[in-house]
Amino acid sequence: MSADHRGGRRSGWTSGRMSGGGNSAVNMVVMAPGDNVGVATRDIAAGATARDLRGCRQVALEPIPQGHKIALADIAPEDLLVRYGVPVGVATDAIGAGRLAHVHNVASRYLDNDEDHYE
Amino acid sequence: MRGYRRADGRIGIRDYVVVAYLVECAHHVARRIADPYAEQGVQLIGFPGCYPSGYAHRVLEAMCTHPNVGAVLLVSLGCEEFKRSALREAVRAAGRPVEMLVIQGCGGTAATIERGRIWVEARLAERRPPETSLGLSDLVVGTKCGGSDGLSGVTINPAVGHAFDLLVDAGATVMFEETCELIGCEEHMASRAADPALAGEIRGAVEKARRYYDDLGHGSFGGGNIKHGLSTIEEKSLGAYAKSGTRPIAGLLKPGVRPVRPGLYLMDTVNDGAVRFGIPNINDTQTVTEMVASGCHLILFTTGAGSVVGQAVAPVIKGVSNTRVFERMAGDMDVNAGTIADGVETIEQVGERILAEVVAAASGRPTRSEALGHQEFVLAYKTYEPLGPACLPA
Repeated sequence: MSADHRGGRRSGWTSGRMSGGGNSAVNMVVMAPGDNVGVATRDIAAGATARDLRGCRQVALEPIPQGHKIALADIAPEDLLVRYGVPVGVATDAIGAGRLAHVHNVASRYLDNDEDHYE
Repeated sequence: MRGYRRADGRIGIRDYVVVAYLVECAHHVARRIADPYAEQGVQLIGFPGCYPSGYAHRVLEAMCTHPNVGAVLLVSLGCEEFKRSALREAVRAAGRPVEMLVIQGCGGTAATIERGRIWVEARLAERRPPETSLGLSDLVVGTKCGGSDGLSGVTINPAVGHAFDLLVDAGATVMFEETCELIGCEEHMASRAADPALAGEIRGAVEKARRYYDDLGHGSFGGGNIKHGLSTIEEKSLGAYAKSGTRPIAGLLKPGVRPVRPGLYLMDTVNDGAVRFGIPNINDTQTVTEMVASGCHLILFTTGAGSVVGQAVAPVIKGVSNTRVFERMAGDMDVNAGTIADGVETIEQVGERILAEVVAAASGRPTRSEALGHQEFVLAYKTYEPLGPACLPA
């Protein structure tokens, strides 16, 4: 194996990053195949298409802020949200594909997340 | 890759000379002995406490007999309660050259520094190049996150998880830690346990961490997390958990206990018993030190805000979650996983680059923190009960 694979020093993608700040069409990471939510890597506007590097496409039906989750399939109440192949919560309401999945429609299976967290 | 075969059969990837102080009162003398040789792999470690501690003794002994260590100089004040002769005999039994200088017997600061430097220079003159070939299956690698940000759990941590999968598949031994940050992941972890008894031990370790932090009064999920898009405690924990990859969990370790066979291990870093010495790990370096005590040759350290730490006995490879911090602190970072968020690389591609960094570091190339002279080391008081029989495979 080459010892020269340090991030930022391989000409193959360094030049692309320098010129365009990455692949501007990609704005989402789907962490593992089979996940029913993707994670926005930048703010996604309502009506825009969320795209990952592997070809997953989903039109956002509402704004999805950076770091937040977008449903990639219709999720029914009581369904688990699966991110990176791991259940990270349970839907408390129907979450249609393209919708924001967050504390208003997702509950923890462990500790209450419904307190007054928003300031 | 070539390493150093020790008399006890273990193989190291560095040939450090360690200078270890056995109480804070000997710290200055030990530091002055080691200082001139800091660029030559002479590393300073030690324990500040005077009151004896079985835990601290176990960790310091594990450090002094670590495969990356070729020789050990112990520096004692003389009146501290550390069982110094037992430590010296353990190092001798492991086949490493060892010397013990007692400051009160040597005639004080200057005389001890002079004798110490003469001994260290003799060990440096005896050094030989590494001659034993080693493969990934000889390596023990740990992972730790510190200064995480909103992208850590999306980019660098799962990329380390992929590297862990590749390492496990190649027959290596790997470990992750921090049960206190895995609340909500215990059922998923239990489902990965090699057998039902281990699954119970893992659930118990996370429950212990939850109780301990409740007693300390630390909350672990709140408004800041929600603002960044995390919806539940288990989703937050997943960010750290992602470093463990997807392979089965072979066993549960306590600090200083070494895995008995290859595979993926979870380290329990929370004290047993009642809250006694405060926060279990006062900083990232204490946790890293505990993993090195359990045999790690190398540490994969992930950060978002930009940690700069290294370690005294094991090289640290640092990976950062975002390109902005990578560019600002490029001199400290070995891997940029911000490329995942930039849409340029997949998690798997960055994981493969991390594996290449492991191979390069194990082949002798200094990591960024090593080249910058980082030698962080922290050892504080703790209490542990012995491992239960279900924690490690027979």
